[in-house]
Amino acid sequence: MASRATLDSPVKQIQIEGLVVLKMIKHYQEEGQGTEVVQGVLLGLVVEDRLEITNCFPFPQHTEDDADFDEVQYQMEMMRSLRHVNIDHLHVGWYQSTYYGSFVSRALLDSQFSYQHAIEESVVLIYDPIKTAQGSLSLKAYRLTPKLMEICKEKDFSAEGLKKAMIGFEHMFEEVPIVIKNSHLINVLMWELEEKSTVADKHELLNLSSSNHLEKSLQLLMDRVDDMSQDIVKYNTYSRNLSKQQQQKHQYTQRRQQENAQRQTRGEPPLPEEDISKMFKPPQPPPRMDTLLIAGQINNYCQNVKEFTSQNLGKLFLAEALQGHNS
Amino acid sequence: MSRFFATGSDSESEESSSADEITPKAPGTTFTKQSLLLSDDEEDTKRVVRSAKDKRFEELTNLIKTIRNAMKIRDMSKCLEEFEQLCRAFLKSKTIVDKEGVPPFYIRILADLEDYLNQLWEDKEGKKKMNKNNAKALSTLRQKIRKYNRDYETEIASYKENPMASADEEEEKDEVESGSSSDSDDEPADAKSFLKKKSATEAPPPNASKFLKGAADEESSSSDGDNEDWDSDTSESDSGSEDETGRSTSMAVNFLKKTSSEGDRHTSEKKKEERKKRHKRKERIEEEAEEEAQEEGEGEWEKVKGGVPLVKEKLKMFAKGTEINTTVVVKKLNEILQARGKKGTDRAAQIELLHALANISNENNLGEGILVKIKFNIIASLYDYNPNLAAFMKADMWKKCLDCIDELLDILFNNDKIFIGENIAEDSENLASDSQEYRVRGCILTLVERMDEEFTKIMQNTDPHSQEYVDNLKDEGRVCGIIDRLMAYLEMETKGSTEEVCRVYLRRIMHTYYKFDYKAHRRALGLQGETKSEQDAEESEGEDSAFIMDRLCKYIYAKDRTDRIRTCAILCHIYHHALHSRWYQARDLMLMSHLQDNIQHADPPVQILYNRTMVQLGICAFRQGMIKDAHNALLDIQSSGRAKELLGQGLLMRNMQERNAEQEKIEKRRQVPFHMHINLELLECVYLVSAMLLEIPYMAAHEFDARRRMISKQFHHQLRVGERQPLLGPPESMREHVVAASKAMKMGDWRTCHSFIINEKMNSKVWDLFPETQCVREMLVRKIQEESLRTYLFTYSSVYDSISMETLKEMFELELPTVHSIISKMIINEELMASLDQPTQTVVMHRTEPTSLQNMALQLAEKLGGLVENNERVFDLKQGVYGGYFNRDQKGGYQQKQGGYNRDQRGSYQQKQGGYNRDGQRGGYQQKQGGYNRDGGGYQRQGGYNRDGGGYQQRQGGYNRDGNRGGGGGYQGQNRGGYQGGGGYQGGGGYQGGGGGGYRGGYKGGYQNQDRRDY
Repeated sequence: MASRATLDSPVKQIQIEGLVVLKMIKHYQEEGQGTEVVQGVLLGLVVEDRLEITNCFPFPQHTEDDADFDEVQYQMEMMRSLRHVNIDHLHVGWYQSTYYGSFVSRALLDSQFSYQHAIEESVVLIYDPIKTAQGSLSLKAYRLTPKLMEICKEKDFSAEGLKKAMIGFEHMFEEVPIVIKNSHLINVLMWELEEKSTVADKHELLNLSSSNHLEKSLQLLMDRVDDMSQDIVKYNTYSRNLSKQQQQKHQYTQRRQQENAQRQTRGEPPLPEEDISKMFKPPQPPPRMDTLLIAGQINNYCQNVKEFTSQNLGKLFLAEALQGHNS
Repeated sequence: MSRFFATGSDSESEESSSADEITPKAPGTTFTKQSLLLSDDEEDTKRVVRSAKDKRFEELTNLIKTIRNAMKIRDMSKCLEEFEQLCRAFLKSKTIVDKEGVPPFYIRILADLEDYLNQLWEDKEGKKKMNKNNAKALSTLRQKIRKYNRDYETEIASYKENPMASADEEEEKDEVESGSSSDSDDEPADAKSFLKKKSATEAPPPNASKFLKGAADEESSSSDGDNEDWDSDTSESDSGSEDETGRSTSMAVNFLKKTSSEGDRHTSEKKKEERKKRHKRKERIEEEAEEEAQEEGEGEWEKVKGGVPLVKEKLKMFAKGTEINTTVVVKKLNEILQARGKKGTDRAAQIELLHALANISNENNLGEGILVKIKFNIIASLYDYNPNLAAFMKADMWKKCLDCIDELLDILFNNDKIFIGENIAEDSENLASDSQEYRVRGCILTLVERMDEEFTKIMQNTDPHSQEYVDNLKDEGRVCGIIDRLMAYLEMETKGSTEEVCRVYLRRIMHTYYKFDYKAHRRALGLQGETKSEQDAEESEGEDSAFIMDRLCKYIYAKDRTDRIRTCAILCHIYHHALHSRWYQARDLMLMSHLQDNIQHADPPVQILYNRTMVQLGICAFRQGMIKDAHNALLDIQSSGRAKELLGQGLLMRNMQERNAEQEKIEKRRQVPFHMHINLELLECVYLVSAMLLEIPYMAAHEFDARRRMISKQFHHQLRVGERQPLLGPPESMREHVVAASKAMKMGDWRTCHSFIINEKMNSKVWDLFPETQCVREMLVRKIQEESLRTYLFTYSSVYDSISMETLKEMFELELPTVHSIISKMIINEELMASLDQPTQTVVMHRTEPTSLQNMALQLAEKLGGLVENNERVFDLKQGVYGGYFNRDQKGGYQQKQGGYNRDQRGSYQQKQGGYNRDGQRGGYQQKQGGYNRDGGGYQRQGGYNRDGGGYQQRQGGYNRDGNRGGGGGYQGQNRGGYQGGGGYQGGGGYQGGGGGGYRGGYKGGYQNQDRRDY
């Protein structure tokens, strides 16, 4: 419990056991497919300014049949059982798989918020199986920025609220660097295995076909852009309505003032003040959080595409050079 | 319980009242009954042919009687119902009433009813006891009668003043009426009528007293009603019983007649006929009475039935000694006909009578004229047999009808001296004289038309899958035969007007157009290699249906003056052409007739015919390999999803809100008989297959086009349904086959596609239904090959640098020239960016079509453009809000007028805008920008506005954009390209301009322009 005291300085680094990574990958391979995501709970400890994630366990896949499945109950049971076998039982976050990097969603925000609200150091690990299949393990840890935490706490998602908090899509999530640490014994084993493995196993990294991945990403990106457009149009109508109403309000008050002035000159009592806000009900402002999330998601996609293309370009140059060399 | 009680009292009171009042009357009644037993003839002879007035009045009195009965048992709802009927009946007899004045008995019932109702109304307790229905009916009836009686106030008042007198009057008038009409009948009646008159004068007083009583006492009033009937019906016999001398004379007369009847068959026959009518009446009365006086009445009435054996009746019709001549027969005929349409007339018996009459006239050699006349009437009454329009004829009736018409036509053919026509007046008829030409009123054409309709009705109402239907269908030959004969008859000079000829021609056409002429088909195919005898048989068979259709239709086109017949004829003609695969004739006729433009104004049956024709036309086009035409013709019918209904081949299940029972009946009557149906599955299959042949290559060609339109919604729907299937098994239904074939075609796999479209299942379901199955299949295979080739090229051209036509030829099993022509066509139509390399026979791809990734990027760019526009607008609005009165719409309007491509103007405009905006936040900024603007350097702000303008242009109509894409692409490219100078986010716009507009506009436009010049 000593670590609790150091919580004021937030976690700067995350150290993951190889076991956790393997478990996550296995979980996805066994249960996840296509757009379906898998989720699970991370267990570990906070040591100084780093979060050590030492173990995890998966959530069972949701099906329609067992709607009455109690997740909390399940988690508690699991953690208690793990404690019995002397495994770290402190809840430090959760993990989720993703499909082409599409994870910035309302659901993720909400659950991460509730995690972070309860356990301040918790993070969400995003595992991208598709990128991993292409040869490079893609694992990222995210947590909400303090600003976003504030907003979520207040539940003020209006445009003004967001503006006041000075929050943009870039400042919603912060990534925490990850280090994967294995025991020495495992490292030794790895070295040994490296020696034995054939060359072909490593060549996935050099795969040149890119269009499929890019197409998928573009498709997703386009969908998001469409959503964004819709949101903007919505906001547009809202603000137009608002301004129209403001004009009306303005006119109304002016007319009232004129009339009152006339009445005063005639010596009549002024008209009673009416509640203007009742007469002009302001239109419901559209919540901006979704737009923000979409923007975040778009940003994410863009990053992905950028990353992917730069890698691919490199590969292409490599291939070209090789070809030139051969001929 | 109360009902039974009431009935009991009713019959009792009947007796008692008659017993009480005048003693002589009581034996009278019993005597009547006896006399009924002994010799019914007695009263029958006194029966007279009743005039229209009598008929109407009788109807009224009957209704009044039931009202009185209902009043008696306090059945208010019944009362109300009957009263309404009475009002209606009275309205019907308006003409007579106008002539004769309001009948007193009518006034009487009105007055009585009102009194009665008032009385009931006052009786609060009684009202309480009434059930809800009755109470409601009472109040409605009371209101109604009040309102109604207002019209007859004076009459009612006078009646109330002097009920007796009015009743008296009525009776008298009745008697006089019947007496005078009986005068004309036969001589002995004269004496009787005199007697009757005498008795009639005697009779009223008791009646009147009864009325007085009736007003007070409901029970007796109802019996009064009964008695009224008696009076009018049997007053003759009553009078006989009352007046001894009168009776004896009448008896004597009866006796005389009876003896004579044995001598002369015809006389008695006539009598019997009368008698029968009488008997019928009795029966009816009995029926009515039955409700009230079951036990008592039945026994007595039963005897009547037994006493009049039906078999004997036929034998007598004319009085003995009567010379059977034309006039007598005509009179008789008229008598019989008078009963027609009356409520109580037994229609079957009437038909029998008419037949008998025909036989008589035949036996007496009265000539053809009268026979024709009788035949006409027989057929008419056969049609009348069913009172309901929806009901159809019974089989035996139908046979009889056909026989009759055949006979009639025989007569007409054998005797060309007979003139018939509907406009020959009854008086100018000449039925008798042999020397002159016969003139008979009547229209054979109408009868035949009616017969045809009856036939349709019979077919509509028979279960199409039963043997019965087949049996009925066999009559079609006879119907056609009759129509043919009638046609021949009317075609004879002076027999039929052109209008009539047109009508009968149309009938003939209607029976021809939907039949496939196999003989002509065989002949056309040149299958004459068979045996000589068969050939002879074929030749003797007469002309082809095509020639017949041609001849008849052309006559109608030339001579018809009603639009409807011509329209029908044209449609049938087209249908017939289409059915026999004469596509061009059919299509030309359809286009020349301009029916498509105004068919929606036609009546539903014609519209159904039109739909049938269009469908047939589409199927014909399909057989001929005109896939596009087939698709277009079938599109309207198929896209609605109501093909069944539109073709009149069945009703769709719909809720009653859309259609009430009445409409449903009407729609049912419009249905096309089963043997004329067009196979709906065939229709749908033809449609789907043609849609597939059109849509799949189109889809492949426009895979990435965001604005792609569907050719056939229905087909897409089927595809989606197919996709939604969780597990795809081998196709079962026709639709699944087509969907599976479409999928194969999408991949350019024509063999699989072929095997899905043409296989055992599909053959038996669809293709074998065509007359030229083999040709159609061959055509289909070829089409599938061609379209698969096109699809293949569209889909996979991006992966080829070049492809040898030789390979394509082998892949799709097409001849080289065909492959060549298909590819050339695609190149010309700019569907395929390639060129043909003649020496090597290869297609060299230009590889200018963007790859899917590029396409995607283009789409994304477009979307981003939209996004940016929207975003800018938000920003503008902000500015507007802060700027106060600055109105966006104004600006928009101004910019629209500007047209958007005048750069300089826009710049200046913006400066002006800056002026407007001086107090706005961004106003100052903009002014500064204005300075830059002149240099043409920093477009940033202006770019923003310009974008806005672009937005407007877009909104102004995608038309502008589309239009520009081809020719004016330069504009867009230029315009957008101009931004590229701008920095920052404007770079995005620049990208769009350069990449999107520039690429597309520049490339396509240029290419197209060039091409146009070349070709």
